[in-house]
Amino acid sequence: MKVELRFDTRIVNEPAITSVALEKGVLLNILRAQVDEHGGRVLLEIPDDRVDEVVEAFERRGVKAYRRTLVEINDRCISCGHCITLCPVEALYRDELELTVRVDADKCIQCGRCVDACPMRAIILLI
Amino acid sequence: MTRNKHGRIRTIEEINEKIKQGSVVAVTAEEMRMIVEEKGPEKAAEEVDVVTTGTFGAMCSSGAFLNFGHSDPPIKMDKITLNGVEAYHGNAAVDCYIGATRMDPKRPFEYGGGHVIEDLVSGKTIHVEAEAYGTDCYPRRHVETDITIEDLNQAILCNPRNAYQRYNAATNSRDEVIYTYMGKLLPDFGNASFSGSGILNPLCNDPDYETIGVGTRIFLGGGIGYVVGEGTQHDPKNRLGTLMVKGDLKKMSPRYLKGASFTGYGTSLYVGIGIPIPILNVGLAEKTGLKDEDIKTDLLDYGVPRRIRPIVKGTNYAELKSGKLEVDRREIPVQPLSSLKLAREIAETLKEWILSGKFYISEPVEKLPLDTEFKPMKVTGEPEAHMIMEPAVTCSVEESLREAAERIVQEEVNHILVTDEGGRLKGIVTSFDITKAVAEGFRRLDEVMTTKVVTVKPGELLESCIQKMEEHNISALPVVDDEGRVMGIVTSEGIAKTLGRRRF
Repeated sequence: MKVELRFDTRIVNEPAITSVALEKGVLLNILRAQVDEHGGRVLLEIPDDRVDEVVEAFERRGVKAYRRTLVEINDRCISCGHCITLCPVEALYRDELELTVRVDADKCIQCGRCVDACPMRAIILLI
Repeated sequence: MTRNKHGRIRTIEEINEKIKQGSVVAVTAEEMRMIVEEKGPEKAAEEVDVVTTGTFGAMCSSGAFLNFGHSDPPIKMDKITLNGVEAYHGNAAVDCYIGATRMDPKRPFEYGGGHVIEDLVSGKTIHVEAEAYGTDCYPRRHVETDITIEDLNQAILCNPRNAYQRYNAATNSRDEVIYTYMGKLLPDFGNASFSGSGILNPLCNDPDYETIGVGTRIFLGGGIGYVVGEGTQHDPKNRLGTLMVKGDLKKMSPRYLKGASFTGYGTSLYVGIGIPIPILNVGLAEKTGLKDEDIKTDLLDYGVPRRIRPIVKGTNYAELKSGKLEVDRREIPVQPLSSLKLAREIAETLKEWILSGKFYISEPVEKLPLDTEFKPMKVTGEPEAHMIMEPAVTCSVEESLREAAERIVQEEVNHILVTDEGGRLKGIVTSFDITKAVAEGFRRLDEVMTTKVVTVKPGELLESCIQKMEEHNISALPVVDDEGRVMGIVTSEGIAKTLGRRRF
């Protein structure tokens, strides 16, 4: 499962991810990381069966963790499918029976490649 | 049963009578393909009265005529904007034309004329601002108001070029992302896009324009529209026909008219069009039974920004609709920019309209032309090579490398042309060649000079010079006459100067 971590400026220097990985003996996959004047923001993939305890370990270290949907297609979508060709993780796909374009939000890594390519501006990254 | 393929088996009047009685047989082009495959065209022609088609894609040559009625005191609008998007005003006082690709300068690439049309059809409020110079009969100089489509006297969608018979597919050979009207194309042939609904496309189902013509009643934007005639760039000989269409915007639906934003290109309007094809003869049954693999097109390299883009490969709509395209012995993802889902929905809707007696077939009052051509733009006043060339620095083939090097330094040039005693071009040496010669210990000119020289004739256009330099990755072109005598040299610096002096 993907979890977004928010580090405020006070703890942005601390090696929180490594420390949680070592404490829990769990493999954590960093999909995206950015640090700016507001602190740090990391998109982390955690094995489904370990999410609760890993989130608890982060929260203990003062890191906020958000489990939520990362992407949405709104009702402006016309199911053209252009976005499918841009998605590096196959989160976007077409239901061949209905010809409808859908998103598997669990696969999305919020790379944003599809967003400016959508002629209907129907893809919304939820931040 | 044998019958002349073009022999009439039913008339439009007979079809309309059946629509009235509720006994008409209408199917979509996708259904017709299966019927023809299963039963053959003769049986299909006997059973089916009408085949419905549909397409829903970006159609930039779209727009609407609007009439606002007169204010008091009246105004003869000179400049007019709708939600910040400039409309064309070159008609009478309160008429204007809002074009799909005109953008709001405050929201470039995001909001444009296509969105204004969608907002109008959605019943949303539109902010109108107009300026005028004031006349004795139209004294008002400024008006600002909020209106909806209900407040307009007329709102007529009138699109000069819609419903291309087929269109090329697009990919990108460059090492960078490009943003085009064919969408976002990833580097190194990373993806491909196409447009058009293949077997559902209206003109593909009537490729000889037997039934679609001036006055044909159609599904347009969710309402009723008509074919005005052939569209601009109508190119029937290459099976690239287009249509000009019109219809009452007030009766249309935002489901089938949608403003579109193409990053880096501009705005557009997605238009839904559906055209009924009456099956008047066996030939039309055969034509409407066509398969996606029969509709050929080319995959073009949009990484080359020329009028004629290189063909990467020939393809067809079956391959394009499969989602994967083989390019360079690997599979790349391909998807349309138009909507196959909505194209199918439009063909289904039109079928329902016909079955329920809401839509009647019309006889065209004039056929579409079969002989028009699509010519490139005539561009006058373009500089020619002899106008931008500089005097060439030359040397003879007998001279030493050292002498050539000295002359390059003395004349402050990067290229020296090697000529024979008659002034005919024998080769070219660049300052880089000299550097290389020193590094590798060459002494003679003919050891380093390039003998296969890319040249231009004095009358060649600047564009052609640039293309040659780009294609061969070189920075200078000797200008030679018909006998091969050097007249001068066109360099990239010289071109930069010429372009710098241009007024854009």
